[in-house]
Amino acid sequence: MTKGLASTGFELVASPEWVDEILLRGADGDICLYSGGPIDRSALRRMVAERQSRLAAAGLRAGGSLALRLPPSPAYVANLLAGWRIGAQVILLDHRLTPFEVDTAFQRLAPQVVVAPGRITSSPLRAFADVEETVTPHPGRPAATPHAVIQFSSGSTGPSKVIGRTAADLVAEIDRYTRIDGVPLPGERVVVLASMVHVLGLVGGLLYGLHAGVQIRPPERLTGDSVLEAVAAEPAPATVLGVPFHIGLLASVVDPPALPQLKRMTTGGEPVPAATAAAFTGKYGVPLGNMWGMTEVGVIATDLFGEHRPALTPAPGLVVVERGGELLLSRPESPYVGSSDPDRWADGWLRTRDAGTVDPVTGLVTVKGRLDSQVSVGGLKVDLTEVEATVAELPGVVAAVVLHDDVITAYVQLTSPATATTVEAGLAERLAAYKRPRRMRVLDAMPRTTTGKLVRDRSVLRQAARGGR
Amino acid sequence: MSQGATPDRDDILAMLGSLDGRPAEDVPELIESMELAWLVHQVEQRYGVRMELDSDQYGRMTTVSGAADVLREVIGMPDEHFRY
Repeated sequence: MTKGLASTGFELVASPEWVDEILLRGADGDICLYSGGPIDRSALRRMVAERQSRLAAAGLRAGGSLALRLPPSPAYVANLLAGWRIGAQVILLDHRLTPFEVDTAFQRLAPQVVVAPGRITSSPLRAFADVEETVTPHPGRPAATPHAVIQFSSGSTGPSKVIGRTAADLVAEIDRYTRIDGVPLPGERVVVLASMVHVLGLVGGLLYGLHAGVQIRPPERLTGDSVLEAVAAEPAPATVLGVPFHIGLLASVVDPPALPQLKRMTTGGEPVPAATAAAFTGKYGVPLGNMWGMTEVGVIATDLFGEHRPALTPAPGLVVVERGGELLLSRPESPYVGSSDPDRWADGWLRTRDAGTVDPVTGLVTVKGRLDSQVSVGGLKVDLTEVEATVAELPGVVAAVVLHDDVITAYVQLTSPATATTVEAGLAERLAAYKRPRRMRVLDAMPRTTTGKLVRDRSVLRQAARGGR
Repeated sequence: MSQGATPDRDDILAMLGSLDGRPAEDVPELIESMELAWLVHQVEQRYGVRMELDSDQYGRMTTVSGAADVLREVIGMPDEHFRY
């Protein structure tokens, strides 16, 4: 092992060979990615090698830690694979996080090298951004665990949960995808709309695509017409991979062209209402597939032909059971870093916090919603407890209740000089935009129970807002 | 909003509200990234055009008022900002 910053850390977070064997292998001329133009495997390998040199020059070594806070982009893909190829642990941060959230993450994980978007030269609607990244040494420490990737999940107790996955676990998920009927096949294309920084787009789009020889083709922009243009661009069959927001984009395209290449659309992140699914399939005449997964595990169950909606078939190799109304997954190890909370994982079982049932005859799983305060915003998980705690800590906030009422809604009681504007400004510093309340109601006094607890009933709060404004 | 007209503030609020079924009065002034994509998509569908905006214009579309200003500008100059 090369001695460097990481010499006291895990010697091999991930044996670098897996990147070449599982992801980068293939004929030089094989078009594996598209970003403004085709990128073949030899070009991708060159991009990765170049990033590997830059990261090594910044001090990254096997067993070291690297943080990426890049939007989905060729630079993100190249740095991610380069970090893994070095044998480092890669921490993925959504580029929309505020500096406050990034600082909090860095304090917890102390990466040794940070790659950030120095300049984004493309429009904010680009699905795959043009980024001139900066690579900066950071006063951090080597990887403290053998995980290849670290991700954050909005936390129910305030701070985000830190989730780690090993290279072996990522490879196992890629293998699951290869055994699921209805995924894109070698030689086909996947039009990835889901963010490749999060698990659906990362493994279901990027890593599976690279492994299976499925061309990864983000649209030029995240608009309905642009998605259809990406599908129509080549004769090879195309699967669109996204979240329910993207179904809305395609379902509202006026007079879409005939698209014989369109094979199916698959979404994850949250359940799709039956009416939405019917509208999509009626318009495009192809299946709307559904997936259930979580950051901790990746894909858990699928219904890629839309045959069992809302039920799903567990992915090969995964055991799902229902206990006390909650769905549990068989997992040999806890995915949580720095936490041994038995309320999340114990004795080989991961609690999903999703309510649901498992059909004893067919084994089909039906997810019936969250048992905690987590909601999905455009496929991104947001824990309302984290939002509420952030609101409540702002200056001038006497009391706050945050709930999901079509959108994230905050009811607040303020004291002078705080106003809704100062609260919104404070939140803009502390929470990424997708986590912030989209509706704020300032009440003269928060409704409370006779024992003084804050009332969380939607109808009571709505009524108070009508009378209190 | 009809094709050929300039979308005003109310049109923009209605389009943003259609993302999740909110009434216009519940749509906040600030527009986040997913809502921006939805708004551009909606304008393109209603006008049958493709909007070509520069980074400055996208930067100003982070509020409803800013979006109204930008759309007023670009719809007045379709040759420069639209692709049919």
